[in-house]
Parts: sequence; C-alpha cells; structure tokens
Amino acid sequence: MNLDHTLELLRQGKHIPEETVYSLCLELQELLINEANVSYVDTPVTICGDIHGQLHDLLTLFEKSGGVEKTRYIFLGDFVDRGFYSLESFLLLLCYKLRYPDRITLIRGNHETRQITKVYGFYDEVLRKYGNCNVWRYCCEVFDYLSLGAIINNKIFCVHGGLSPDVDTLDAIRGIDRKQEVPHEGPMCDLLWSDPDDVETWSLSPRGAGFLFGKNEVDKFLHGNDIELIARAHQLVMEGYKEMFDGGLVTVWSAPNYCYRCGNIAAVLEIDDQLQRNYTIFEAVQPQDGVGNAIIPTKKPQMDYFL
Amino acid sequence: MSDAMPCKRLLMKRDLDLWESSETRAHLVHFIEQLADAVRGRENEQYDLPISASVEALMGLLQQVRGVIERHPVAKKDAPASRFGKVEFRDFYDELRAESASLITGAFPQLTQNQVRQLQTYLEESWGDKRRIDYGSGHELNFMCFLYGLTAYKVFDLGGTDRANLVLKPFIEYLKIMRVLETEYWLEPAGSHGVWGLDDYHFLPFLFGAFQLSTHKHLKPLSIHNEEVVELFADKYLYFGCIHFINSVKTTATLRWHSPMLDDISGVKKWSKVAEGMVKMYQAEVLSKLPIMQHFYFSDFLLCPEGVSAPDNVDRDDDGCSTLEPHMGHATWGDCCGIKIPSAIAATESNRQTNRHKPLPFD
Repeated sequence: MNLDHTLELLRQGKHIPEETVYSLCLELQELLINEANVSYVDTPVTICGDIHGQLHDLLTLFEKSGGVEKTRYIFLGDFVDRGFYSLESFLLLLCYKLRYPDRITLIRGNHETRQITKVYGFYDEVLRKYGNCNVWRYCCEVFDYLSLGAIINNKIFCVHGGLSPDVDTLDAIRGIDRKQEVPHEGPMCDLLWSDPDDVETWSLSPRGAGFLFGKNEVDKFLHGNDIELIARAHQLVMEGYKEMFDGGLVTVWSAPNYCYRCGNIAAVLEIDDQLQRNYTIFEAVQPQDGVGNAIIPTKKPQMDYFL
Repeated sequence: MSDAMPCKRLLMKRDLDLWESSETRAHLVHFIEQLADAVRGRENEQYDLPISASVEALMGLLQQVRGVIERHPVAKKDAPASRFGKVEFRDFYDELRAESASLITGAFPQLTQNQVRQLQTYLEESWGDKRRIDYGSGHELNFMCFLYGLTAYKVFDLGGTDRANLVLKPFIEYLKIMRVLETEYWLEPAGSHGVWGLDDYHFLPFLFGAFQLSTHKHLKPLSIHNEEVVELFADKYLYFGCIHFINSVKTTATLRWHSPMLDDISGVKKWSKVAEGMVKMYQAEVLSKLPIMQHFYFSDFLLCPEGVSAPDNVDRDDDGCSTLEPHMGHATWGDCCGIKIPSAIAATESNRQTNRHKPLPFD
C-alpha cells in the first residue's frame, strides 16, 4: 500500500480499493494494540469532537487548526455514520495515524461499533460504495482497538461520552479489557454513551445507554484524579463547544451544519503548554456536484427494491 | 384481550421473526396497500365526494391537535439546552396525552370505552417522543395504526369514499401538523441515518406520493431534481411536497449530497416502479427493523403474534430522567396487558440483576 497515494485519493473523496482498506486496517490493529486504554498525550494538543463522515469539514478542520504536519490531535470518536463520507473520513484518520503515530490519538465513540453502524448509515454507505460489506467488517475490527480515553499532561481527561458510576479513577479504566464490541452496559459502555446534565446524581439516560451525570459527579472525578478538565464530545452544540460545571467539563463538537440541517458551527479546542484553552470555530464548506462523484459506483444494493 | 392497554412486545430478533410471518403484520401491510392503491393517479385535492361524517370528525380532532400546539408556543428567548429540540414539545405532549381519550370520544361517540382505550395510545404516540423530543417513521406508523384501528372498529368504511379520503384528508392533515411540530419544536429525527436515510422524519408520504404519481404521463422520478417542477407540484403531490420540504431545510447542498437514497430512486424509470419499491422498502426498512419495531404497540385490533416475548418494561413513564434511587418516589408500578410490571427504573435495576433483554440504545 502506498500511503501517500492513498491519502491523496482520500482527500479527493475517491474510491479506495478493498485490498488497500484491508491492509490499512490490519496495520492499524497492530499499531493500536500497543496503545493504552487511556493514552498519555503531551501539550500542545488540539481536541476534536464528532466528525460523522463529513469529510470536507474534516479537511477544513485540519486546515484551520494547523494540520497534522505541525499539530498534535486527539479525536474524541464518532468518525462514522450519517455523513456521506464516513469511510473516507475514518480511513484518512487511520492513514494519518500510521504516518504520524505520535501526533494523532483516536478515541472510540459510541458509533464505532458493529451494532450502531449497521443502523446509522456506515454499513449502508459501504454496501453502496463496494457492493459488499467486507470493508465495513475490516473497519469494525479496528474499532475494537481504539482507545477509550486520553489524559493530557495528567490534567485533562478526554473521553467520547462521559463518566460512569463504575469508574472512580483512571486506573479503573486502565483495567478494562477494551478489545471487544462495546457492551450494552457497564463502564466501557458508559464512557462512550453518558451525557452531562443538570442532575443531582447519576440518572437514567434517555438514550437507553450510559447515564446522565451532574456537577457533583464531575467535581468528585476531577478532585479524585487530580485533574482539572473533562473534555468530551457526543452531543451537538450549536456554538461548537460548551463549558459546564464552572469550566470542569467541556463538550466539543466538530461537525458543522450537522447532517446538512442543524445550522450549527463547529469547534476544536487547543490546549497549550500552560493548559490554557483556545477554541477555534469553523463553518461547513459547501459540497459541490462534480467533486467526489467518482466514488458513486454502479452497484447500488438499496435500489433492489425498485428493480 | 379485553381491557388490557396496548403494549410493546417485540424485544429481540426472535420476536421480529414471529412478527414478520404474522397475520397482524400482513393485515397492516394490506391496509396500507389499500390506501395507497386508492390514491393512485390522484392529486392531493382529488378526494371523493361525499366526505363521510367519520372523516370530517377525524379532521375536527386533528384541528384540536393544532389547538394544543398553539397553546404551547416556544418561548422567545432561547433557554440554554444541551439537546436540539424545544422543551415546550413536552407540554404539548402532556396536554395531548391528557386529552386524547376525550378527543377520540368527542369525535367518535359510538366507540366503547375500551375501544377508546385501545386507540388512544396510538394517537398519543403519533407525534414523537416526549423525552427525546424526536420523531421518526415509527411515530408515523402509530398514526397509521390509529387509522387502522378506527377502520377495524367500523368507523371508516374502505368500501366507500373513505378509502381514498383517508390519505387525502386526515393523513395529509396529519403530515401538515407534523411539519408544524418539526419546525416549531425543532424535533430531532429519531434514529437518524443522516444522509443514508430516505428522509429525516417520514416514509409514508413518499409511498403514497409515488402511488399518486404512478399513472402520470409527464412527470418522471428524475423531475425531483428540477426545482421549478418541485415547486409547482409541491402542493399537488405528496412526493414533491416532501422534496420541497427537504430543499427548504437543507439549503447548502443538492439532493445528490444530502439525500443519496432519493437521488438513487430518481434514477428509476417509472413512478409505478418507485411505488412498488416503496412498499417493499417500507416492509424491510420500517416494519422489519428492531430499533423501530421494539416500540410498536399491540392491542386488541393489532394482535400480538403467539410466542413473542412477554412485556418487558414500561417506557411510557412521565418522570423523564429519574434518579436511580427507588425511594425517590419514581418506583411506581404500571399496568400493561393486565400484568403488573415495574417502572422503568425498577426495570433497569432488574435488567441489571438478571441480565435480561435491553432495548437497543438510541442515538
């Protein structure tokens, strides 16, 4: 596999041969298996939220935030589903990870699972682009190896969803056997599914997975682990980011005009060496007909209904 | 089944298999096909005369639903909220739920008390999810079940003018109300597949709409890409109305990008093929999908197939996001199909202990 060539194709939203995806995913598993459940990351670093297959916006993100040649990144998960280019977005991040292993940390989101991607678009996208689901299967194998979180300078905890009543310490996360499909309950599930809310204590989540947690739980976790911030994604924020609980938690959202309908702006959060927070916001780029259309294949399984 | 309230029963793949081969499902599909066939070749305004008293009564009921919306306007200043939807939707839902029995009795006094009880769940669930403030094809299906139930109770007569009018009058009015709800309260698309879904909210207007167009001499499926045509026919045909709505919401890209499924379908040569395909697709993508059908209600006119799971829990509790402490006052017991079953909190606790089935999570 020629990494530079693949990267170039991906940036243009062009078709990637099945064999290339296979070997890329295999290499990534070998790389990711050595990473900890909670990766250590040094400042300066830029934290990015949900992407959801919005490739053009992901390219804008890199452009506006310095680019992977100069900047260290943490992605908080939800690379796939709903957008037109879930596959290309995920593969682009994998290629960067392979090229610059120390500059990209990929955290698993609640969409990086077999069950969820079968429902929310990624599976259908692959089927439409390849006529079979092999590529989806290769990607799912990589999902199982993604980190569950990251810790920046031992002071900022990064996770996709939020906290879990089963997790008091970072060590509790380090003890999880992460290399599996995300379970329906328990600490690994909660980390990927939970949401902060204005609640007194752990509460049921309307999502049907994970929990709602409030300022009390956040304060306790920050104090108990001697950290000052929880950075998470998982929820659309119209302004791109939102701090809660006296700045103890922040939601970062990086998919502008989500699903072409939400009209939101997107943000990334840069943490400098003094742990100061600098937000960069960006808007959606207009997709154009005639660009990327080459990837639309002649095989369209959904069309079977209409034959 | 007597006086039991409608309840959810499809919890796992095995249940879905039983459902798929059930008579109940076949009857429901047949009902939808009958309505679809009745609007073949008709424009929205080409309903049959005379309009029956029952259809008029249902239109009156829907008018009152509009009234409920008007009583719960969205507050001008935007309260900070983590979710996208407007919380006033919950007040709308609560009032509708409180009024549903009297709305049905008022419109159809001939129904027995039990018949009203059977119907009211479907009416209440037709407008979206209270807690999540979202809406999808599963909620839309509830309205179809409501019409199905009224027909089963002989309120409507598919042998007469009701057959076409059910779509052209109440269903279209329902759709119009849904557009108001979607735009007023910013309902999120439930379980959205993003660009990989047919539509953010609806399915049936595409199905009925394709039947409307299936005999049209000039309009082709490709016409959805022609903005002038779409605008011209948005009020005449449901399918174009839907495209028009999407175009008005998604202004930064063309259908090719934000709706690749509709783009694919526009490549089909004839509307009649689209219509046939929509029925197949509806059965596969809505009636056979567990994330949707796990919320489907069975009742005494939509009988639960033999052998599916016993009712598992109630997720119609009003308490929103309750705490996990059972002593906090939320551990009430609900009544479903005559069997005492625990509240959502207690159900979650017992699920935790016994590792029983857990519904597919929402995102």
